[in-house]
Amino acid sequence: MPSVKPKPASLLLLAVVSLCRAAEPPSVKTEVLPITATISDDADIQKVIMPLAAEIKATFDQPLVQAPQGLLRGRRGEENLLGYWVADVMRQSAQGVLGSPVRFAITNAGGLRSNLRPGQVKVADIFELMPFENELVVIELTGAEVIQAVRESIIRRGGEPCSGVRAVVEGTPEKAELKVTWEDGTPIDPAVTVKVATSDYLYGGGDSIPSLKKGRKPFTTGLTLRQILLDQCGSLAKGRKELLPPPPGRYTIPVPIQEAIRDKKFSL
Amino acid sequence: MERRDFLASLGAATLASHLSLGAAEAPASGRITLLHTNDTHSRIEPFGPGNGNLSGLGGVSRRATLVRQLRAQLGPVLLLDAGDTFQGTPYFNRYKGRLDYQLMRMVGYDAGTLGNHDFDNGVGLLVEAMESMEKLQHKNPPFPFVNCNFDFKGAPDLAKRVRPYLVREFPGLKVGITGVGVAFAGLVAPKNHEGIGWRDPYESLRPVVQRLREVEKVDLVVVLSHLGYNLNGTAPDDLQMPGQVPGIDAVVGGHTHTFLDTPTRVPQARGETLVFQVGFGGVNLGRMDFAVAHGTLRAASGSALPLLG
Repeated sequence: MPSVKPKPASLLLLAVVSLCRAAEPPSVKTEVLPITATISDDADIQKVIMPLAAEIKATFDQPLVQAPQGLLRGRRGEENLLGYWVADVMRQSAQGVLGSPVRFAITNAGGLRSNLRPGQVKVADIFELMPFENELVVIELTGAEVIQAVRESIIRRGGEPCSGVRAVVEGTPEKAELKVTWEDGTPIDPAVTVKVATSDYLYGGGDSIPSLKKGRKPFTTGLTLRQILLDQCGSLAKGRKELLPPPPGRYTIPVPIQEAIRDKKFSL
Repeated sequence: MERRDFLASLGAATLASHLSLGAAEAPASGRITLLHTNDTHSRIEPFGPGNGNLSGLGGVSRRATLVRQLRAQLGPVLLLDAGDTFQGTPYFNRYKGRLDYQLMRMVGYDAGTLGNHDFDNGVGLLVEAMESMEKLQHKNPPFPFVNCNFDFKGAPDLAKRVRPYLVREFPGLKVGITGVGVAFAGLVAPKNHEGIGWRDPYESLRPVVQRLREVEKVDLVVVLSHLGYNLNGTAPDDLQMPGQVPGIDAVVGGHTHTFLDTPTRVPQARGETLVFQVGFGGVNLGRMDFAVAHGTLRAASGSALPLLG
């Protein structure tokens, strides 16, 4: 940091003011006080919180929507249909907030902490699936950067859950080729700029997709991923619809290459 | 260093006249403890298990107990918050911030400022949350909000509730408190900050700090900042603030969820500024003590006073 060199005039004013104050307040003690369980609860505040906490807990048991097949992250070699649903909801919510098209969404499978089992989905199930406070963020990427993000996610995780594109890997672990198109099969113009929905976690450089850090014009929506999933379940139920898994087919990766990815012996 | 040399050369006459006046009027000394939080994000209850090293920490009710104990021990205390009280738990989704602000009043906050997430439900619901806090029946007074770099012209209900600065007097010491908020672009949807403009925080702070020093004659200037600790030169932040705005003694920071063990001491044209931030979610309470001695040459030279126990 450059040192500030006051001009003589301001210095004079400054000095006189200082003398009027006749004091430069030095700190005498600073510390961080952790709020731990050793500190007892304040009775008055507990009286306010307790019934509200009970109310919040009661909402956890509220039924949201029927999911007759469940939504599963997929076992080895299977696609992560739960993740695809989350990415679809992210893209759709981002479009709603922005009021303009969002072409691509990507999240990290590691952030989805449980499957949605077949049957009634409750509020608590969505909290279990998404316990983090991650926020929906919209950024701008070029088509080339979208392809690169998909490539990175394949190399590190065998393809992170995404929405809006189809990725096909062909060839062998030693010599592989990646083709990425928009979901309708049309080619991605590397130079085009598109809106991309992701989480603040991935945009911040956490986890598997470093290209997302390059995102421009970030828009933090203030919506947690959990909240948009809760809202989506609510609106499905309102429309008397069931929660069904999206169709597979977003990543097509030959088994030998999937194994090479798991063994961390794959580059693309 | 330059300042000290200049003071030495200023001449004993000027100095003496100020000192003799001061000695007759002013009390010998004053002290104050600043207690502070930032980015509490609707963490009403402690973090549950499965939250890593934050598990089991925090909770408004424990914070209230700690604050009460410290007030009893320390006497003059200001309890301050640097914004982003809203968003993060089902409590916010359900109670829209009303509960957060009401509990802050019960804990005994003296002042707060606005972070980007406090606009998450729009200006209307932010005002409603403030209003519900004002109307609460409680022995603690409603706490005020400070900000000097938002232009509230198009949002009169919020303008009424946020003042550019406030002054609090304690025995032997006057404290001026102001606040600054982060730019809305990329953080707050346009519809949620309708009618509110954002101005450069440094430019907004300069006249306010000057007024606090020269007109209000405060001894200590505190900025509640929701700019962020260190943005590496990409936008105004707390670490650069002291170099840009001389005369600030303490920055109670937020926004970047930065866990500091001690405040960062940033040199500035008039001494140094303590820049502090204590993580997020109410897991910590920050503490900064200040002591001011009136009319002593030693204090005027800017050297440190003895520690208070």
